[in-house]
Amino acid sequence: MEKLGPGDTRRKSELRYTLHLMRQNPIVLVGIVLAIGSVVLSLISGLIINPASGNTQDLPLRLCWNNPVTDWGVHNLFVCPGAHVYPLGTDAYGRDLLGMIILALPLDLEIALTIVASAVAIGVGMGAVAAYAGGLLDEAVLRITDVFFSIPGLSLAIVLVTFFSHSLFWLTTAVLVVWWPTYVRLIRSQVLTEKEKPYVEALRSTGAGRLRILFRHIVPNSIYPVLVQATLDVGGVILVFSTLMFIGFSPSPLLPELGNLAHAGIENVFIAPWLVLFPGLTILLIALGFNLLGDGIRDALDPRLRR
Amino acid sequence: MKLYEYIVRRLVLMVFVLFVVSLIVFLLARGALPPETALAPYITPRLDDSAKLALAKSLAVATQSCPAWSAFLQHQPSCLVPLWEQYTVWLQNVLVGNWGYSLLPGISGGTTTTWDVFTSRFAYTAELAIAGALMTIIFAFPMGVISATHNNKLPDHVSRLIAIAGYSMPIFWLGFLLQLLFGVYITIPRGAFSLGLLPTNGAFSTTCGACLESPGTITAYSGMPVFDSLLSGNVTYFWDTLVALILPTITLSVSTLGALTRIVRSSMMEALRQDYVLLARSKGLKERVVVYRHAFRNAVLPAITISGLIFAFLLGGVVVVEYIFSWPGVGAAAVTATTVFDVNFLELYVLITSLVIVVANLGVDILYAILDPRIKY
Repeated sequence: MEKLGPGDTRRKSELRYTLHLMRQNPIVLVGIVLAIGSVVLSLISGLIINPASGNTQDLPLRLCWNNPVTDWGVHNLFVCPGAHVYPLGTDAYGRDLLGMIILALPLDLEIALTIVASAVAIGVGMGAVAAYAGGLLDEAVLRITDVFFSIPGLSLAIVLVTFFSHSLFWLTTAVLVVWWPTYVRLIRSQVLTEKEKPYVEALRSTGAGRLRILFRHIVPNSIYPVLVQATLDVGGVILVFSTLMFIGFSPSPLLPELGNLAHAGIENVFIAPWLVLFPGLTILLIALGFNLLGDGIRDALDPRLRR
Repeated sequence: MKLYEYIVRRLVLMVFVLFVVSLIVFLLARGALPPETALAPYITPRLDDSAKLALAKSLAVATQSCPAWSAFLQHQPSCLVPLWEQYTVWLQNVLVGNWGYSLLPGISGGTTTTWDVFTSRFAYTAELAIAGALMTIIFAFPMGVISATHNNKLPDHVSRLIAIAGYSMPIFWLGFLLQLLFGVYITIPRGAFSLGLLPTNGAFSTTCGACLESPGTITAYSGMPVFDSLLSGNVTYFWDTLVALILPTITLSVSTLGALTRIVRSSMMEALRQDYVLLARSKGLKERVVVYRHAFRNAVLPAITISGLIFAFLLGGVVVVEYIFSWPGVGAAAVTATTVFDVNFLELYVLITSLVIVVANLGVDILYAILDPRIKY
């Protein structure tokens, strides 16, 4: 197939039209701002907050609030001593909550991107080969995904983490194990329709190898729905991962991770509601950003909705 | 292939899936944890070492030639039973309904067999999941349809934002906010105290102490409190349990509600684009008739296929919701079971939830075949 170079007017106008469609929708713009904002903030988080402050406890400062905006209507509110204002209060270890949330961003995003990227790689690899080869291999891969689809994701992840360990590695692996079958199904259905097209037959007649046809031609032509799903899944993975942390599968109570911060806050929730409120709000905003972005891309790329 | 042949094929596949699920959980549990963990629910302080060893041998966790309990604890090779042998013994037991003992207390206390613990709690989970599914369906369809008919206008933007915010919502966070709002900030005076407007803990409201003391007037038809009290005609008890269901149901259904709304919207938009809708409009039919009589009926089908997945999602979400609202169901029990390594309970829990999902998916596919005569298998 001819390659469309960067100077190619067709691709350029297609891209421009896609961007135009996305711009039409103000809500998608919100998504773009939130998603890009969270990525940028996590990239520079090390410059704003010293990563070592996650491990420093300052118990005289625990559970205090001195932001004049609100007092939460909490009885016996402990006002932070000193002139330094803690915009989002402090947690049970006396750490600045805003700082901890900023520290948690790179960790959460890194884990989510790792999980999604690995799931896409595994899922696309297996699904594409299975669909192209067909026969027994296809049937076997389908039955394996059947098994995974019949277990609620969170339950399987909980069981895995329980039987291995609560380390970040196993938590990541557990979510990955739950996630990859989605992409197998997605790419499989795409490849099945794509492989019947004339250009594949033309390639075969020129003597191109099967792996080359599959991964150089068919997969790039059927990858768009996968990429859209992957964008949406960044939000979903952060939700599942932080939920696991929230229900207590954390490697360390001090780990600055959004779900873990909320988990640590739950026992003091009546004297310090901010401890659950703000980490959860951050998760919501990140997930919302990626979901709105993915939704916008899907609508913009959907040939049925493109006029 | 005829429909019944298809159903038979699916049932065979279902047994296969459940077999693999049980194998996975069993191998993980017995392979990753030390072998004595499997014995924990059976061991009482009164058992001496020889009795413990006999127990381990009878459960095929230790070999018959194992010399002593201490040797078993040291994991000496002569005491270790290969995993596949342990599995066959376990499977034989399970197939005759012997799920062993659990470390968790039952709802009413006392019973500790895994099966009793599970069944005494399962009705509560089922009630919550059914309520969540109902709420999802009731709100998702109208929202999706309005979104599609008002494409890229204000109602569409609002519905899109609600839907996407719904499935971007960390449900533990939403549950917490609702608890704080309706349990602490909005209160109603009751006697000398002021209580939260809605109950935030458990399956009964705290405002109705008498209800709990006199549940004798309720016949346990299904074990689900709302359903049973309705059938028994006990209005106080019915109201009490229904009120307790409100917050958990909202929390549970918000994310699935968002997902289903988006699916209804896209299949509705596809339907509205079809030629028969153009024809219906050109005949001069009212817009309402075109949308609900012609387009909607065709758009419902793709949404139905997804509802099986939604049920799986609900059963997963139930874990978190039960955890937050101290709901006496199996999901919260599973979280507790992980903290004490209650392997028997986790095995039963994963298998039954898988069974529910597989059956729900099969039911959806059969329903699809009945509703759409064009489907051939």
